Amino acid sequence: MKTTKLYLGPQHPGITGNMMIELDVEGNKIVKAKTHVGYLHRGFEKLMERRTYIQSFPIVCRICVPEPDVNENNYARAVEKLSGLEVPERAKWIRVMILEMARLQSHLLWMGGQSGSMGLYTMPQWTVGDRDYLLDRFEELTGGRIYHMYVWPGGVRKDLPPGFKTRMLDLMNYLESRMKDYTKLMFENAVFKKRAIGTGIITKETAIQSGVVGPVLRGTGIKHDVRIDEPYEVYNKLDFEIPVYEGGDIYSRALVRKAEFAQSISIIRQIMDKIPEGSVYNRIPNPFKWKIPKGYTYVKLESSRGEFGYFMASDGSEKLRRVNVRGPAYVHGISLLEKILPGSRLGDVSTILNSLGVCPPEMER
Amino acid sequence: MGFSKLTEIKVLLKQYFKDIISVEEDGEQRLIVDLEPKDIVSVVNNMKDFMGFEHLSMISCVDWPEENKFEVIYILTSYSKGNIVAMLKTKVDRNNPKLQSIISLWPQVVTYEIELNEMFGVFFEGNPRMGEEFIMEDWDDLPPMRRDFDTLEYANRTFKFRDERKDKIIVREFISEHYDEWRNK
Repeated sequence: MKTTKLYLGPQHPGITGNMMIELDVEGNKIVKAKTHVGYLHRGFEKLMERRTYIQSFPIVCRICVPEPDVNENNYARAVEKLSGLEVPERAKWIRVMILEMARLQSHLLWMGGQSGSMGLYTMPQWTVGDRDYLLDRFEELTGGRIYHMYVWPGGVRKDLPPGFKTRMLDLMNYLESRMKDYTKLMFENAVFKKRAIGTGIITKETAIQSGVVGPVLRGTGIKHDVRIDEPYEVYNKLDFEIPVYEGGDIYSRALVRKAEFAQSISIIRQIMDKIPEGSVYNRIPNPFKWKIPKGYTYVKLESSRGEFGYFMASDGSEKLRRVNVRGPAYVHGISLLEKILPGSRLGDVSTILNSLGVCPPEMER
Repeated sequence: MGFSKLTEIKVLLKQYFKDIISVEEDGEQRLIVDLEPKDIVSVVNNMKDFMGFEHLSMISCVDWPEENKFEVIYILTSYSKGNIVAMLKTKVDRNNPKLQSIISLWPQVVTYEIELNEMFGVFFEGNPRMGEEFIMEDWDDLPPMRRDFDTLEYANRTFKFRDERKDKIIVREFISEHYDEWRNK
């Protein structure tokens, strides 16, 4: 059969962001795939080398749009580790709450994107609507809906407002009740099951060999999660499970995320129950003259799409020497995608992109 | 007996590779290893196959123009041996930055090495796609992530204001010059 070259993108294929995939197709079948990134390069890493540690703060959250808090937390922990700054206990609990809220809103956005890519357009309407209730809580807490700039080195910017706990628990009850509707509309839907089961299969060997992380890794039956492997903040004081499903296809990844959604709700309830009193912020030295000792660090955490790491090197001056962001999409969206796309159908490209959690902004920084 | 997994790996590394510059523990699950550039492939290969570091977290590079060196950094994670994170560092000459590629160990190494080649000019021998464009098209200047690449100077040299924008700038200057005068009227 004749081979045709097809360029998918650089406009959004699905809703994951601006990147281009160069496909060789035979009829409906993909023979070869090559990714081209570079449409979202903003030079953040270079820009941060010219700024003081605090001036870089409004930049880091913009590295990945669905998950700004993950970047803030990583950056803050890297600076704290290099400078030896302590964080109050209460601030750590609030940080975990923020991270779990970020996971919830990112999973909601993913649910919409994943079912939208299969033509089930009711889901995006519902999930984006419900995500707004979470954004309302973010706004109440931080003043911003998408980019919060809330987690600082030395703690968080402000304490919880009065009455926040009640509203948060109400929201958790609401989201839990909504999950029944989502299950009916998406996870048990015949269209979704038909298209998701057996599509985009990643084997255990490929997953380990290619550096796959997060729900995609746990969807192949391998149990690894940074929250358990190397507990950060207060995750070792919380009680939660790491859901694992065998299969390695889109459906098992979806089930992992669905189970994680329930776990995050449970974690937020535990935090609201156990959070200690105290201050939320340790003062930092004068930010314009804050010199951080020479050193290297790599911090990582579990974002909704997997291991999210920051490498940071300081040279003893007011500005950092080098920062490098390792997002899960850097591996999922380039080398893994090129490997698993051949053999699948053209219509499944955007479903596979969504299920891997490809987010181009963090590939190029 | 009594040794943590971290100490075990530390001892093994020192035993196998006599040329290792230093191995330090950094917390309970972290290891920082300083290496000669020639040892990179053998150490990484050994750590992957015999010490359980099956996950490559990232490859990065730091520029030290004052020492005339590039420092290439490999971060490996062990899943089977207590989730240890090892940071391997090696310094290469800045005038002729060359390293052996570790492409045969992990497929995703290709992307990291192409990016470092484009952004810093570090050449990885043995990578068949070396020199390919990662994000930039037709770049013929100094690699942009080097410390001596002046971003501001490059932007002023390359990008010009559109003609119609010039009027707006004059308007802006005019406003700023006369702002106080108008306000006090």
